Amino acid sequence: MSANENAPNEAEPKPIGKRPLRPTTQLIISIAIIALVVMATFFLFRYPQRLGPIFITALVVTLASFLLLLVLRHFILIWFSYLHQRELACEDCEDVYPFVSIIVPAYNEAEVIHASISSLLELRYPYYEIIAVDDGSTDDTHARMREFEGNHYGVRVSVYRKENSGKADTLNYGIHRSKAPIVICMDSDSRLTPDALRYAIRHFRDPNVGAVAGNVKVINRHNIWTKLQALEYIEGLNIVRKAQAFWRSVNVIPGPIGIFRRMAIEGTGGYDSDTFAEDFDMTVKILADGWKIHYEPKAVAYTEAPEELLDIIKQRYRWSRGILQALRKQKHLLTRSSGNVTTPLSLWYMIFEGLVWPAMNIFSSLFFVWIALIYGMTKLLVMWWLLLTILDLLVAAHAILMEREDMGLAIYAVFYRIFYVLIIDVTKVFATLEELVGLDMSWGKLARKGRI
Amino acid sequence: MRFDWVNILATVIFVSIVVTLILAVASYFAYKVREARRPKTAAELRQEGQVKVFFNEYKPK
Repeated sequence: MSANENAPNEAEPKPIGKRPLRPTTQLIISIAIIALVVMATFFLFRYPQRLGPIFITALVVTLASFLLLLVLRHFILIWFSYLHQRELACEDCEDVYPFVSIIVPAYNEAEVIHASISSLLELRYPYYEIIAVDDGSTDDTHARMREFEGNHYGVRVSVYRKENSGKADTLNYGIHRSKAPIVICMDSDSRLTPDALRYAIRHFRDPNVGAVAGNVKVINRHNIWTKLQALEYIEGLNIVRKAQAFWRSVNVIPGPIGIFRRMAIEGTGGYDSDTFAEDFDMTVKILADGWKIHYEPKAVAYTEAPEELLDIIKQRYRWSRGILQALRKQKHLLTRSSGNVTTPLSLWYMIFEGLVWPAMNIFSSLFFVWIALIYGMTKLLVMWWLLLTILDLLVAAHAILMEREDMGLAIYAVFYRIFYVLIIDVTKVFATLEELVGLDMSWGKLARKGRI
Repeated sequence: MRFDWVNILATVIFVSIVVTLILAVASYFAYKVREARRPKTAAELRQEGQVKVFFNEYKPK
């Protein structure tokens, strides 16, 4: 998923026609959902004996399976990501470079657009152009883009301005104006590293590869929230992508850096505006067309992560609902695949990670606390925490070593699951319930600090 | 005096989980309140049919 909220904007992806609920009504429904979940959880743990011994046995078996699954998941991910890394080590960079168009969509990104386009002009790649599209910004974005218009030592920068219509439409607008066989879609608050393109392009030697996902890293590691997100990107997101890349079926091409074969993107009909996760939606469509999707860890894009808790919640709320919307849209692919056999597996994995996993995580945390309280089994609580923490520390150390990242981040793995993941999972559960109820939502926009 | 590390650690874990869950639910609630109080965007006003037009954009033919 995209790490930022950049281009999307005032243009809403929901189809017009249904009158949206008033914010107060939406708030009341949200509060009702929160109250219902809290009450249900309370009664579930307050009166378990009334539900009978079968219920308690089922609870214990379910949670033991959850723990086993968690350990298994981590080892599978580590194993396949290792295999992927080993595979990449044997590959060289391509010495023939195709022409590439880089599409930069922007909406009210005056704070960061200069740094973003500047980073693109420093790429160590011989043939590319930059297409910057202003999606009807109301700030200085367009004026700042215009400062770059023209030729920069062989790199042509074209700047366009259009009416506000959302990120998906803005990307389509840019793609339509490019002639290159390879297109890079990025966010305007991202900063690519100089060799990002050179490394990513090599995967297109395989004619069946339709897209390559880049490696997104957090640039603003100032406080505990951004440091935890930095760790999450390395441990939680990139390691999953690496493991999926071994099977060439990465299921989310991140918004900050996605490299596409033009033919693949055109075959899907371009980005759709009807979900809040246009990057996930596009990925699923490409997989469904039978293309392979690779991941390149050296194609790095730095992005500005939200620095406050409420902004993180806002971002994750949008990701969760966007993924559910895209899954609902592509639900026919859950049972059959016109292309890769791994596509349905990828989608089921997303359902598992998005729906089942967060609920199970919250549930197991509550369960172990309950056990400790009711039966005084404090040892079990400590063992459970110790197991998860050791697991997280190992995975974090492995992921950090593989990415040659700052080892100091590993210490945050101690709070990662018990604190950060729990907060994110609560947001995911509420977002899922609201999506099921069908509450309206708006994209909104995160405040930029201009850290890139 | 002998410390029972298991009990101390268990208490820390217990408090952490409970406080985190309360923080998570409260933050989600705060987020919803902030969203409800946020000024509406032009697109939201358009959807509700309450667009406030201050001027019409001039487009040369």
